[in-house]
Amino acid sequence: MARDLSKVRNIGISAHIDSGKTTLTERILFYTNRIHAIHEVRGKDGVGAKMDSMELEKERGITIQSAATYASWKDIDINIIDTPGHVDFTIEVERALRVLDGAILVLCSVGGVQSQSITVNRQMSRYRVPRIAFVNKCDRTGANPERVAGQLRDKLDLNARLMQLPIGLEADFSGIVDLITMKALYFEGKSGEQIREAEIPAEMQAEAQERHQELLEELSMYSEELMEALLEGGEVDTQLVYDAVRKGTLSLEFTPVFIGSAYKNKGIQPLLDAVAAYLPCPTDVQNFALDLRNNEQEFTVTNSPDDPLIMLAFKLEDGRYGQLTYVRTYQGNLNKGDTVYNSRTGKKVKIGRLVRMHADEMEEIDGCGPGDIVALFGVDCASGDTFTVEGIEASMSSMHIPEPVISLAIIPVDNKAQTNMSKALNRFTKEDPTFRTFVDHETGETIISGMGELHLDVYIERMKREYKAEVTAGAPQVAYRETITARADFDYTHKKQTGGSGQYGRVAGYLEPLEEGDYEFVDSIVGGTIPREYIPSCDKGFQKSMEKGILCGAAITGVRAVINDGASHSVDSSDVAFQLAAIGAFKDAYRKAQPVIMEPIMKVAVEGPTEFQGAVMGSLNQRRGMIIGTVEEGNYTVVEAEVPLSEMFGYSTVLRSLTQGKAEFTMEFATFKQVPKSVGEELIKKYEQEKKNN
Amino acid sequence: MDREDLITSNPLRVLGLDNKAEEGRQSLGLVMARAGLGKTAILVQIALDSMLRGNRVLHVSIGESIEKTRDRYDEILSLMVERLSDEARTEVARRRMIMTFKENVFSRPMLEERLKDLIQQEIFQPDCLIIDGYDFDGNGRQAMEDLKVLMADLGIAVIWFSAVCHREDERVSADGVPAPCHAIDDLFEVVLVIKPHGDHIHLDILKCAYCQVEPGTTLTLDPSTMLIKKA
Repeated sequence: MARDLSKVRNIGISAHIDSGKTTLTERILFYTNRIHAIHEVRGKDGVGAKMDSMELEKERGITIQSAATYASWKDIDINIIDTPGHVDFTIEVERALRVLDGAILVLCSVGGVQSQSITVNRQMSRYRVPRIAFVNKCDRTGANPERVAGQLRDKLDLNARLMQLPIGLEADFSGIVDLITMKALYFEGKSGEQIREAEIPAEMQAEAQERHQELLEELSMYSEELMEALLEGGEVDTQLVYDAVRKGTLSLEFTPVFIGSAYKNKGIQPLLDAVAAYLPCPTDVQNFALDLRNNEQEFTVTNSPDDPLIMLAFKLEDGRYGQLTYVRTYQGNLNKGDTVYNSRTGKKVKIGRLVRMHADEMEEIDGCGPGDIVALFGVDCASGDTFTVEGIEASMSSMHIPEPVISLAIIPVDNKAQTNMSKALNRFTKEDPTFRTFVDHETGETIISGMGELHLDVYIERMKREYKAEVTAGAPQVAYRETITARADFDYTHKKQTGGSGQYGRVAGYLEPLEEGDYEFVDSIVGGTIPREYIPSCDKGFQKSMEKGILCGAAITGVRAVINDGASHSVDSSDVAFQLAAIGAFKDAYRKAQPVIMEPIMKVAVEGPTEFQGAVMGSLNQRRGMIIGTVEEGNYTVVEAEVPLSEMFGYSTVLRSLTQGKAEFTMEFATFKQVPKSVGEELIKKYEQEKKNN
Repeated sequence: MDREDLITSNPLRVLGLDNKAEEGRQSLGLVMARAGLGKTAILVQIALDSMLRGNRVLHVSIGESIEKTRDRYDEILSLMVERLSDEARTEVARRRMIMTFKENVFSRPMLEERLKDLIQQEIFQPDCLIIDGYDFDGNGRQAMEDLKVLMADLGIAVIWFSAVCHREDERVSADGVPAPCHAIDDLFEVVLVIKPHGDHIHLDILKCAYCQVEPGTTLTLDPSTMLIKKA
């Protein structure tokens, strides 16, 4: 029997770090009977929350890798991806958003909309993910859900409205008033599992009535039936209201805001009801795939089980059960024993085992259909690969993947560590496209690069813990780039005749700056001055030259290499000869093409009490930062600036001491910019010194 | 068109306000229009003109985000000048700072406090202040006079404001300056009003103490870019 997709929800839980989203997920699993006891994230029982399955996460109390889990609430199947809150791991957030249909944006009722919530919200907007908001921690001192809802409107530009009112706040937070049903809800029993419905407390009646009316008027914008019912007066059917909230949410024009305290077991069940009622099912959202046989034309996936399978691998994990590949099915069915095609590699893959994951436990299943999120065993693929069946060549649209901005050298302590390190790196680079690795041919060191210090730290830790690969790490280095700013011609002959067979190749052409992209090779040879078989050799030679620039040894980007003339020798020309000719030509022309060094510039947002604004701005200015502006929020200010990454090492310590620990900052990659002359000279000097020392 | 060409050919030059500022005179300018007619676009052109001439501009945006305000600058700069090197673009951007306030948070004393912070701590010394979204209905003559005093204290040469006028409010000053600024128009050296005119948008120069053109002159705006067309 075909599965009823209207009863499936694929949701993500995204938020600023420490907003309590892991605790919230834990409670969701508890109330949906997926787990039978509650363990706190940093709890004394030593078990840790269910979703933080990686040991390291348990220790640090932050969720590093999103774990997919499944829960069932009333008659709705919910697939949940718990996503990390730290900005260094945003690729995880982005990947999760790519495969999800809806999301819960978790906010702290004290901290409100913080800088990371802004990043997450922007990512959700990019993938057009409908969301509902949950204002958590209403039991905390300073809790103010009203203010948070206001910030959602002001800072995130969401049309956010409270769907509930708190009964008491901070230590007195005892329940909530549902502004649609106009009932008070209290969460009783050992773990808040019994919901007691009661009349709204007398002292809240007037306010609740007023809010109820305001809410209905706002919602009438999304439903003509509701508007008519309001104009007619009298009782309004609550179903009409639910439908209007759903419509507004799905169109991203309305964001319903729920409140509660996951830690105190309050407000979770109504939130689950909201997930079921307002967030989209797989057929409510449009997903696109690229037709590989038709010039990558976009087409809408059907969500039909009867159409050929299209499935995206969005996450890989190497755990105690072997390699797990998390997939989302967009159309077609997948059954145990089926053979599928990896559309990137063209390889056939047989699906041996199919499981539904529940954090680090799993259930064997026989098959899955459109909209499902499940995990496969023993499938060799990279994250982001698309699987299809014979007769269809499609790929899910590519994900936005930021370039790494920081790198460091790692050295294994012994031979065993060396072998294990290779295994670990192989796995991590497949799992995480923002994590890259390569061997520096000159120094022989293995270099890893990623999105921030914490990002690389976590992988080094994982190498030690999961792969027993003990490594020593060098100091983090900024991933500089080199590029050219002018066109330069080359005409280079590589000639070698010292015994044995000679080498001969001549290449002529020019290098010029490439506006978009890293590298482009253009073959403008006419008349066969370079034989066809040696054209790829020239390309290869140029690409090799791009690995390391002459200014500071950084990779070269943004170059178009054009060859338009050359010469060969019937005996002495070879693949190697033309590669070497291209390398020589590149070297000559590169010097003339006015090369410059580029550095990663980060978008930095520092948020803190207004009294420290001057100190914060001063500290950013000192770091070659360009202050873009400030957001004045009354008692606190957000300073936004663009600062070179190289100047941001250790900034958290500086900021802490400048602001008595009251300010926090986030940063994300913005762009690459040319370094100022003095900095460039310094980098060149340093590189030359290093070369001498080696 | 390079930067120098742009500076000399910019039609805004006819307003002459910056020339006077360079001579040490402090001036207030005002751009008025009904909601949604492009006041910010005109203010940004004025600001960019000033920045391209080497001045520092603080853009105070009330009710708009940093991102949107910044996008406006980038967009209009790209329209004004086709080819500008990244270096020059960064150099221009360094002369600008955006300060945003929510409508309900903004107050004149708070602006004063923030301005003093910036200037006294030598973080940013603006030559020109743009105040976009100032509430003229809720702030009277005294508030404007206080701002003039503050300007003198802090060494700010020019302040440009935007003000929303309403179709239903027909009050005007002797110079034709519409409400809500009709009663304080004497405080402004330049008053511009944006008006739709068939398919075109006009920029009426109602008052202009130092203009090279007579008050009453109308400039035409390109409705697709909101850039001032050359006469």
